[in-house]
Amino acid sequence: MSVEANTPVTKLFEPHFWKDSNRKLEYYLDKMDGYKMAKKVLTEMTPDQVIDEVKKANLRGRGGAGFPMGMKWSFIPKVDKPKYLVINADESEPGTCKDRQIIRYTPHALIEGIIIGSHAIGCKHSYIYIRGEYAREAKLLQEAIDEAYAKGYLGQNILGTQNTLDITIHRGAGAYICGEETGLLNSLEGKRGEPRVKPPFPAVSGAFACPTAVNNVESVATVPFVMRMGGDNFAKLGKIDKSGGTRLISLSGHVNKPGVYEIGAGSMTLRQIIEDLGGGVWKGRKLKAVVPGGSSAPVLSADEIDVVYDVEPLQKVGTMMGSAAIMVCDDTTDMVKLLLRVTKFYAHESCGQCTPCREGCQWMESILHRIVHHPHDGKAKPSDIDMLTDIAGNIGGKTLCALGDAAAGPVISFIKKFRPEFEAYVRGDVKERVRHA
Amino acid sequence: MPKCTIDGKEVEFKPGENLITVAKRAGVDIPVFCYHPGLTVVAQCRMCYVEVEKMPKLQTACSTNAAEGMVVKTNSENVKKGRAGTMEFLLLNHPLDCPICDKSGECDLQDNSYGHGSAYMRHSEERRTYVDVDMGPVIEKNMNRCIHCTRCIRFGDEIAGIREMVAVKRGNNVDITTIDGEALKTEYAGNYADICPTGSLTLRDFRFRKRAWMLKKTASICEGCSKGCNIELQHEGNVVYRTIPRENLEVNKYWMCDEGRFNYHYTQDETRVLEPRWNNEKTSWEDSILAVKTALEGKKVLFLVGTDLTLEEMSAIREFTGLYYPGSVLQHFGTPGIETSAQDQPADKILKMTSKTSNLRGAEKLGIVPHNPRVDHDFSAAVVFTGGRAVLPELGHAIQVGVGVFLDKDHQTAKYQHILPGLAYTEKDGTIINHQGKEQKLKRAILPRGRSKSTAEILMLLANKKTKVGVA
Repeated sequence: MSVEANTPVTKLFEPHFWKDSNRKLEYYLDKMDGYKMAKKVLTEMTPDQVIDEVKKANLRGRGGAGFPMGMKWSFIPKVDKPKYLVINADESEPGTCKDRQIIRYTPHALIEGIIIGSHAIGCKHSYIYIRGEYAREAKLLQEAIDEAYAKGYLGQNILGTQNTLDITIHRGAGAYICGEETGLLNSLEGKRGEPRVKPPFPAVSGAFACPTAVNNVESVATVPFVMRMGGDNFAKLGKIDKSGGTRLISLSGHVNKPGVYEIGAGSMTLRQIIEDLGGGVWKGRKLKAVVPGGSSAPVLSADEIDVVYDVEPLQKVGTMMGSAAIMVCDDTTDMVKLLLRVTKFYAHESCGQCTPCREGCQWMESILHRIVHHPHDGKAKPSDIDMLTDIAGNIGGKTLCALGDAAAGPVISFIKKFRPEFEAYVRGDVKERVRHA
Repeated sequence: MPKCTIDGKEVEFKPGENLITVAKRAGVDIPVFCYHPGLTVVAQCRMCYVEVEKMPKLQTACSTNAAEGMVVKTNSENVKKGRAGTMEFLLLNHPLDCPICDKSGECDLQDNSYGHGSAYMRHSEERRTYVDVDMGPVIEKNMNRCIHCTRCIRFGDEIAGIREMVAVKRGNNVDITTIDGEALKTEYAGNYADICPTGSLTLRDFRFRKRAWMLKKTASICEGCSKGCNIELQHEGNVVYRTIPRENLEVNKYWMCDEGRFNYHYTQDETRVLEPRWNNEKTSWEDSILAVKTALEGKKVLFLVGTDLTLEEMSAIREFTGLYYPGSVLQHFGTPGIETSAQDQPADKILKMTSKTSNLRGAEKLGIVPHNPRVDHDFSAAVVFTGGRAVLPELGHAIQVGVGVFLDKDHQTAKYQHILPGLAYTEKDGTIINHQGKEQKLKRAILPRGRSKSTAEILMLLANKKTKVGVA
């Protein structure tokens, strides 16, 4: 399957990247029609109208699950309780760096999105949970927020209306699991960053036991564009059903031009992205594998990449779009070592709350460690490979949150698609193993 | 009532009940570790998997509420595989030291492993080990045995009202410990051992004293205060080894305090008076009864009953005094400062009451008035009945007779001319009325120790004109 290569795409964010002065309020006001939509929404539109517009836009959550955003906002009950809009800036899925770009270069789009979103769900205090490693970004974002406060876009009577909105940045302490929305909420409340049992979902009982919408940075920063273009026009940016707008893609690994690229949703295949945007596999080598949606997405082999890069098509080939982080592996990549590294990450980041993830991820890491580092002394056994798959099966789909699935998916798919490499390791067959050039 | 189907059986349920509760009613036991009916649901252990029709993944029964028309399978191949997987994960780092573990025999991990786990182990890595903290006099910690169910953390938070147990570190290294490794402060620490599904938290008091499967169990009531917590006395060879709480949602729910838990020790104290005494010398029942009768003859006697006695004992004493010592006075004593039920208030937010004897309401029901020290001098002799728990009053009488449980170490025994040894709460049947006015039954767990006799028998001997003691 192929999509026409030169489909003209309107890019929302990318033209504004890479210039430090672009993050200033003046730039946003002059060049991006800044805060006009926020004013219009606050003065002319009801919350339901805003939500309807976002629903029309087919705006999917950009965090990983791809849940329709208008739907998420419409779940917030209209009860007499504080409501919270929490922005998930804990961008910690390995390979992902798109939210960082938005925070660095178009922070005011995020702030305007928060104003619009807060109006839609009735929030008076919004939190931005930013990962601890983004120290510089937290500072930049705070500067942008201060600018907005100084102009009266935030605080009391914002933009000359009766509305109140405060934004607080909360810095994480470096835990992958705090990117999971309920883990994030626990951490925000000052508790251990452990995911909660669902139901109740955050829409009913989230931050401080109040109705809460947790949205990804990119999703919220896109909302001003939705309002500017109108939901229907925005949806047309996407070239595939159920996905509107554009997607920021973090392309990394063995390509000539890694980076963050913006494409219309579903407008390119994975191969087109790698070859047209990324300039092909580096050093003239061949492609071996692609991890299409952050390290937790099951891997695709070189012959599986003629697939439209969007949520549903990727689901059909047994993987996922996740946070739209594509990692490209050339033919010198040692898939066994790569899997060990990925598994080590999940074992390290498991919160330790539920049994399969706490015990199983570490166990998988130990077995892979044994396979990689002890191929000769008989510690690795041929049965280890099937055992790994079996253990991953006992973790995937059986844990409290999605981290278990994230850890199990790579193990199952790597072994399924690159089994001979694992077998060569277990045999201690050095020659057959892939060596770095 | 709405209905759902569990393993082919149709069961009624109340909205809001989870599948574990509903399945239990259908006679289906779902294995659990982290779930406890008295604590919040966290769905962490992943043992209670069930298959619910129309749901693709296995569901945890603890966090899934029953719904109308829900079809649940608790025994499908998928469920069995899921549970076996969880059991395997839990045992990866468990030391499997059952032969030297106190929990062995009553261990959820052991039971569920037999029921749902595999007999073989695929794990060949080194096991994770921890350094243990000293958790104070009540609880012994062995972190290597822990399965991270967090029941203890939630118990502290939600029931004991003190956050002292916490989880630190993350992932495979999660350590369940106390804040800064301090000793436990709660007065309900014994419950940590009860709710721990493994041998990670065990009672120091019970440690290495008896294997759990050898204990005989008697359902009784705690006499530690007027709460009347439902307990189980566990004993073997006429020795009580342990007290654990029994579930009673109207009284103590699932818990009991440490004071009540370790209260039984005094009944087995080596200084307990277990034979009749006359001027602090051992004597025979025959001589003793004769001497008491002689001493009391013709005297105006003050009878005092401890509010730690049962309703039956108090009633017999009241009848006895009326018949044989007309003109005498019967008063009760128990906890200094708590003379009436109005003064008996909750001592904390959990279980404890200020009356440290169990049957104040019983004494009031029988019309016995509180002890009034100002009238003491009207009487030339005093007879004190006590179950051992009531605080003995200071009396200045020339002739003092004690009936019941006395300990030499309390330095009270010397003041009594006569001591007739009676039964402690572990050794007798009877009724006590708790602070809610609820009548509850004490049950005899062990036979009377030494040569002690029941209150009824002692009264009978005192009433008998011939005073022939058959068995001494």
